[in-house]
Amino acid sequence: MVEDRLLIWKFKLGNRDALRRIYEKYKNDLLKLAVALTNDVNTAEDVVQDVFLGFAKSAAKIQTRGNLKKYLVTCVANRARNRKRDQQRHETSGIDESNCIISDIQRPEQWAILSEELKLLSNAMAQIPYEQREVVTLYMQGDMTFRQIAKVQNASVNTIQGRYRYGLNKLRSILNSEVKK
Amino acid sequence: MKSANDIKKLFKNAAISTNSKMDETVLNKVLTAHKKTTNTKSAAIEPNIRRTIMKSPIVKLAAAAVVITVVALGLFEFIGTEGTSGVVWAEVAKKVETSRDVICRGRDVVLDSRDGGPDYTMNYLSSTKSRHDSYKGDQIIKTFYDDYNTKTVVFIDHGHKSYIKKTLERMEQNDLWRNPKSLVQKFLSHEHREMGQKTVEGVLCEGIETTDPAFDETNSNFTVDSLKAQLWVSVETGYPVLLEFEVTRSIGDNEKVHIKAVMDQFQWDVELDESIFEPNIPPDYMRLPMP
Repeated sequence: MVEDRLLIWKFKLGNRDALRRIYEKYKNDLLKLAVALTNDVNTAEDVVQDVFLGFAKSAAKIQTRGNLKKYLVTCVANRARNRKRDQQRHETSGIDESNCIISDIQRPEQWAILSEELKLLSNAMAQIPYEQREVVTLYMQGDMTFRQIAKVQNASVNTIQGRYRYGLNKLRSILNSEVKK
Repeated sequence: MKSANDIKKLFKNAAISTNSKMDETVLNKVLTAHKKTTNTKSAAIEPNIRRTIMKSPIVKLAAAAVVITVVALGLFEFIGTEGTSGVVWAEVAKKVETSRDVICRGRDVVLDSRDGGPDYTMNYLSSTKSRHDSYKGDQIIKTFYDDYNTKTVVFIDHGHKSYIKKTLERMEQNDLWRNPKSLVQKFLSHEHREMGQKTVEGVLCEGIETTDPAFDETNSNFTVDSLKAQLWVSVETGYPVLLEFEVTRSIGDNEKVHIKAVMDQFQWDVELDESIFEPNIPPDYMRLPMP
């Protein structure tokens, strides 16, 4: 936390090394979060790259008091949601989301390399409603509290807890059925 | 049935790694975006903080009182340094500037936080080259080499076994922290006052002090709230022994940073072997691309 505050302070003063360290420190966590939210490596890579590009340009606006990880996690969640909204707007095929399973084929220019567990988790996450998926991911992977997630989703804490409970139950039954297979 | 804890474990164990080639590409894009931002000043009109503050009648009155007090008390104090001192400061400045090579130690601390940065840096300076070894404990963690003739900088990160080498279009040798040869002249060019004598590490010294905010001119992205810099020079040799620098900067959004820096363990007018300035890069270190 103290290290993050100092990194932000140095970054605000134009220190490129600080930005490099922030990138190195958080890129994997953010990619993992984005994969769990989008169930698409391409989109996840774009989201995280956009977040870092936006962050690099916003030195003047960033506050040193805040929690850097939570800030970046929230940026990823917002961008992933915007992407999903854009996709839905342009979607014409009506393909069920649950059919979009992460491919095992790795592109040569692929940035993120996923473990089998992450592929399994991401494919299971894709089968629960987006709002529940977001709550479960931000709580489990983003280390956010229900209150913080409530702010992100602009909903009450009770609603968020409900979404978490429903999402977790569904995820549990999907993963259990995967194990039985 | 999997419990919430099992699912949390699954999240934790679900590993992700990155393709290093793509990593470099993305990082370069991010650094380039940052560079463009820092090079482009915002077109938005920045609020004039001084004007806003001075709108308050109480502040106006207080400011007037401060000005009167400073004039009354300080008129006799800030009269220069040539009259009563045993050290002739102009001669010290000349002596320091014409010193051959220099070695010194630098330490800086951000007082309201502490990072994993170096404990101190050993600086080696010749007229055209410099080398800066940053230490954590007794381990060198980073080394910088500057060559002012070729305008080349080399930065070695020993922790990550990587290095950066870059030729710059312009390279300033006047930065105080890179080149302490300019420090006496820098003090003399700002309003300053004599501190009298004191013993520093067993050496009788005479000091001068400045509180001029313009002394901290390293970056225009912040304003200086308060500053105090003291320079202590050996009465016997006429060379600087200790530099202490303390500053509070406002970096926007009501955020302040308090920094204390010390430069000591000076060795003036020494002759350093040329090889000390040759970048020593171990063969297994990776060169990082520069955008």
